[in-house]
Amino acid sequence: MDSVQRFTQAYSQAPWRKQVQLIGLFLLGLILVALVAGVYLNVTARAATIGRSIQGMRNTIENLERRNADLESQLAGLTSNGEMQARATELGFHPIDSEEQVFYIVVPGYVERQAAPMDASPAPALPRVKTLSPDYTQSLFDWLRERVFEPAAPLSEVKP
Amino acid sequence: MTQESSWRYTTLGLLLSAMALFIVVQMVRIQLSPQAEVFRDQGNAYSGGWQTIVPARGEIFDRWGHLLAGNTTVYEVGVELSEVQNPSTIALALNAIVGADHDEVYAAASQEPSSTAVYRVLADFVTEDQKTRLEQLAGEMDVAYQDSKDQKRPSLAGLRFVPHLQRSYPEKELASNVLGFVNRQGRGFFGVEEKFNDLLAGTPQTVWIPADPNRVEEIPDIPPGASLTLTIDRAVQSEMEAILDQALATSGAENGTILVMDPRTGEILAMATTPRLDLNEYWRYAEVFVNPTPFNRAVSKAFEPGSVFKVLTMSTALDTGTVKPNTPFLDTGVFEIGGAIIHNWDGGAWGPQDMLGCMQHSLNVCLAWVASQVGADQFYAHMQKFGIGHLTGVDLAGEVPGRLKIPGDNDWYEADLGTNAFGQGVSVTPVQLVTAVSALANDGKMVTPRVVKSVLDKGRVYNTSPQVVGMPITAETAHKITKMLATSLEVESSVALVDGYQVAGKTGTAEIPTPLGYTSSATNASFIGWGPVDDPRFLVYIWLEKPTTSPWGSVVAAPVFHDAVERLVVLMNLPPDNVRKRLINGQ
Repeated sequence: MDSVQRFTQAYSQAPWRKQVQLIGLFLLGLILVALVAGVYLNVTARAATIGRSIQGMRNTIENLERRNADLESQLAGLTSNGEMQARATELGFHPIDSEEQVFYIVVPGYVERQAAPMDASPAPALPRVKTLSPDYTQSLFDWLRERVFEPAAPLSEVKP
Repeated sequence: MTQESSWRYTTLGLLLSAMALFIVVQMVRIQLSPQAEVFRDQGNAYSGGWQTIVPARGEIFDRWGHLLAGNTTVYEVGVELSEVQNPSTIALALNAIVGADHDEVYAAASQEPSSTAVYRVLADFVTEDQKTRLEQLAGEMDVAYQDSKDQKRPSLAGLRFVPHLQRSYPEKELASNVLGFVNRQGRGFFGVEEKFNDLLAGTPQTVWIPADPNRVEEIPDIPPGASLTLTIDRAVQSEMEAILDQALATSGAENGTILVMDPRTGEILAMATTPRLDLNEYWRYAEVFVNPTPFNRAVSKAFEPGSVFKVLTMSTALDTGTVKPNTPFLDTGVFEIGGAIIHNWDGGAWGPQDMLGCMQHSLNVCLAWVASQVGADQFYAHMQKFGIGHLTGVDLAGEVPGRLKIPGDNDWYEADLGTNAFGQGVSVTPVQLVTAVSALANDGKMVTPRVVKSVLDKGRVYNTSPQVVGMPITAETAHKITKMLATSLEVESSVALVDGYQVAGKTGTAEIPTPLGYTSSATNASFIGWGPVDDPRFLVYIWLEKPTTSPWGSVVAAPVFHDAVERLVVLMNLPPDNVRKRLINGQ
């Protein structure tokens, strides 16, 4: 019996050591929580900043599109038929009065004036897909939830 | 730790745990309660909003890429009610600069801000210039009254400007009857704007715009409306409008139309008509187009064409083999058909003629006889092949089909065959007549008239192509009638002739019927012609309504054709016939 008591006494920890362990464990948990919170805050803040940038850029695009339309209309007004005729008259030009004023000559390689081709911007060859990466839209919890509910997907997998 | 402090800590722990448990229970209860939906809706209301994105309306260009219809920025002026300091100043400023109703603006700007009254629209379609003046005024007031402690000091605080696009027409009146216009609700009226409204307007989409930047979502790329390139040549259109205006002034005609078409393709190069409207001020429509004036007479006004119709009658007779150019005819000045007596335009008898002479002197008696020889069945079958009485399918809004009475109709009589032969008792539109005559200028092939050359939609270009809608006559007949008409103009030394270019054509003078018959002295004077005859590149139709200086097409319309073609050949880079043939032969 004595030997058992001695053995227990020899391997039991001192009360102050138990307290330190508890406090250590508590602090470890606290640090972990702080870390997760910090990462979450960081990711959320970045996402919010980028979101604001996107909203701002959208407005910029809209403004630029309107500005383009304005400039195009202004240019068309400045080069309208009436304006050009008035400017030509100011510069001393006048319409051809008779056929005698026109001389036709053969110009080798001359290509007849062609009708204006429409400026077709390249059309998307594939059906439209979302180009905004989930990294900019997904919160940390969304990401965790996705991983939890998609256990088959390895964490290292790169999604298109 | 003493017993006492242990008890205190235990109590505090239990209390905090109970509070935490209470919070959790409340959370679960609220989540499951019927009010949860209300809370969710409240949350959603502040998280963003549904916004309808209206794509920019497609642009319209002429065949060389000059902008005829574009867009420009205008502003909606609103007020943030919580920021308003002096509604009276706002009302006065908007009334003076924008022309808004003072009382309405004052009432809107005076509203007390609340959860349901945050922002009010005061005016819309405010121009950039007006917006700048309002902003300048606001800045000047801020500077002038910055030290004032008066709560009611003059101020435009609270004004907001929301930009959006509005249709603009840089060429103003030019080709206005072809283009049509767009109202402030974005709907196209008349012309191309109405005909292609759905294409030009694009497809608006309603998307969710989150207010929370954390929930930013990609806005779908909404393509603008389709853009159109027209077959209209801006320079030709402008010249034709100027020539038409001049012709109206010199002839005293009430209205007029000049139509220029490429007979090989059906492309309309110019469609000048009156009245015209500065499309940037479309609200003057009712003032300019006094009821019941059609917006575009070239497609919407049917009338009796008169003698220009004889080219179709003679083509039919030649095509059916009823007559040849040298078939003799003795003109006694009178022809009776179905009980009706037909006389010539001058009431005279022109004696021995051939078909060339009949066309040259525009003899009603001869053409009525020709139609009688062709027979009603063949005559009307050919007229229908020419598209008379049917829509041409021109890509413009508001086309009317005209009227061709045919045997079997309640109001058709045999006499109609005689009068129809010289363009009486039948109504056509200018575009219909030009389409029919395109067969004569294009080896017998009749083409659909069109004003749209290509469409740019969602990054793809769709080119329209010439459409042959029928071959009412053979190529041989087309050449014969063209030669006859060219010769008749030359023999007659018509004022329609253009130096250096051989053209074929026919004048027309039609009495205008009234409800009591042909009792009015007013006429429709016209001329239709094409050239160069060996390779027709243009087909021009002139129509002057009710000229006062002379009723005759040969006097008032033929010179207009001459003027139009003289300018047209320069603008189209068409060398004179001898130069062209020399160039083709490589000499």
